[in-house]
Amino acid sequence: MATLDRRSVLGLGGAVAAGVLLAPGVSLLAAPAEKTGASADRRWAMLIDTNRCTADCTACLTACRKENNVPLFGEPARDIHWIRKVTIRDKDQRRPTVTLPVLCNQCEHPPCVHVCPTEASFVRKDGIVLVDEHRCIGCRYCMIACPYKARSLVYHETKRTLESNPEVPIRSKGVVEKCTFCVHRLDNGLQPACVDACQKAGKEAMLFGDLNDPNSEIAKRVRTVATKTIRPDLGLKPRVHYQGL
Amino acid sequence: MVSYPSSFVRFLFCVLALTAGLLWTPSGIALADGPPQLELPKGKECVKPTEWMRRNHMDFLKESRELAVREGVRVKSDSLKNCATCHSSREKFCDRCHAYAGVAPNCFECHHYPK
Ligand code: HEC
Ligand code: HEC
Ligand code: HEC
Repeated sequence: MATLDRRSVLGLGGAVAAGVLLAPGVSLLAAPAEKTGASADRRWAMLIDTNRCTADCTACLTACRKENNVPLFGEPARDIHWIRKVTIRDKDQRRPTVTLPVLCNQCEHPPCVHVCPTEASFVRKDGIVLVDEHRCIGCRYCMIACPYKARSLVYHETKRTLESNPEVPIRSKGVVEKCTFCVHRLDNGLQPACVDACQKAGKEAMLFGDLNDPNSEIAKRVRTVATKTIRPDLGLKPRVHYQGL
Repeated sequence: MVSYPSSFVRFLFCVLALTAGLLWTPSGIALADGPPQLELPKGKECVKPTEWMRRNHMDFLKESRELAVREGVRVKSDSLKNCATCHSSREKFCDRCHAYAGVAPNCFECHHYPK
């Protein structure tokens, strides 16, 4: 796969260069990507600390819906979720019950992209898995391929309202969509809306950054703390890491 | 003697009725006479020469979309949002010409553009 080759070719060289360019502690995120585009030297990733995520808080979910105009139809089987909260219980009750947000895991080897017949699902140079909604024909192969249930098909027409975010498109029926790591915000130097909301809510359970930059907070944490990904046995190498799972 | 004027009147009436039929178009599609009147844009010049834009804006938009979505190259001036800074009404500009040309881009099912 192209991404894999690119990464192994550029390897750590790219990462060191990025680290030198970024003054430590100034900003985790890069300058706006106007003209230059997504950089193959970056690997955007998220770290979620389940110890800090509380069952009653839904700040990330609300922020995501608002930012990305994700509609809520009120039909459990057909509702669209870019991010949802999952409760995990240990059957033997030896470990505490945890609730955690689950979103697109931005796999390094995304099965959704492999099965897409129109190349609507693709991996951007910086590793973000996206749906090009202009090409999606709504076949839903990707939804079946995704082991994280991260994708949804839009079953109904949606309307723009006064609360809609004008910066982001709404939906048309019959197109598959999912979390984009708020790519429109990333390209403008902001972090995803859910991460922002989590910080504002005082939880700081979500951390976002560039894994290829050894000085980034997330790279340090992933190096030093025991983190897990969901279903690592599938070999998809998710870039959403969990701490305390 | 009696039939002459009446058939002439009938003839006149037919001609009138026919020309009226030719001139009359349903008010919603009153396009029979020449190119549509487009609302004048706000700025001085378009993002590309007007002539070129008239013919190529669809390819231009699709290219900029390809770059923005797939490569992450977001050039502000080339985005669909930016058209609205000068062509401030979709109905009086984009739609008016599209209706005339018989094209119906579906972009605005999803994208925001002021009415
Ligand atoms: C199914 C909904 C949908 C339809 C229909 C659609 N788009 Fe998009 N479009 C999107 C989404 C989603 C994005 C990604 C937004 C982002 O990343 O900022 C996008 C991004 C873009 C962008 C880059 C961002 C920007 O604002 O410049 C352009 C240009 C664009 N679309 C043009 C078009 C054109 C032209 C059409 C009609 C031929 C169209 N789109 C139809 C959903 C749609
Ligand atoms: C800075 C202001 C500005 C922006 C931004 C702009 N335009 Fe224009 N546009 C103009 C002007 C001025 C004209 C010339 C109108 C004239 O000569 O009557 C024009 C002409 C056009 C025409 C030809 C109209 C005709 O009379 O045949 C098209 C089509 C067009 N623009 C499309 C677009 C699209 C699509 C975008 C977004 C990518 C865009 N424009 C962005 C100012 C702008
Ligand atoms: C001067 C007339 C004119 C104006 C004004 C105009 N268009 Fe168009 N547009 C056309 C024509 C003609 C086509 C069809 C070209 C073809 O099919 O080859 C078209 C096609 C398009 C397409 C491609 C549709 C498709 O399905 O492939 C898009 C997107 C588009 N226009 C966007 C715009 C936007 C946005 C504006 C307003 C800012 C605009 N146009 C203003 C004449 C115009």
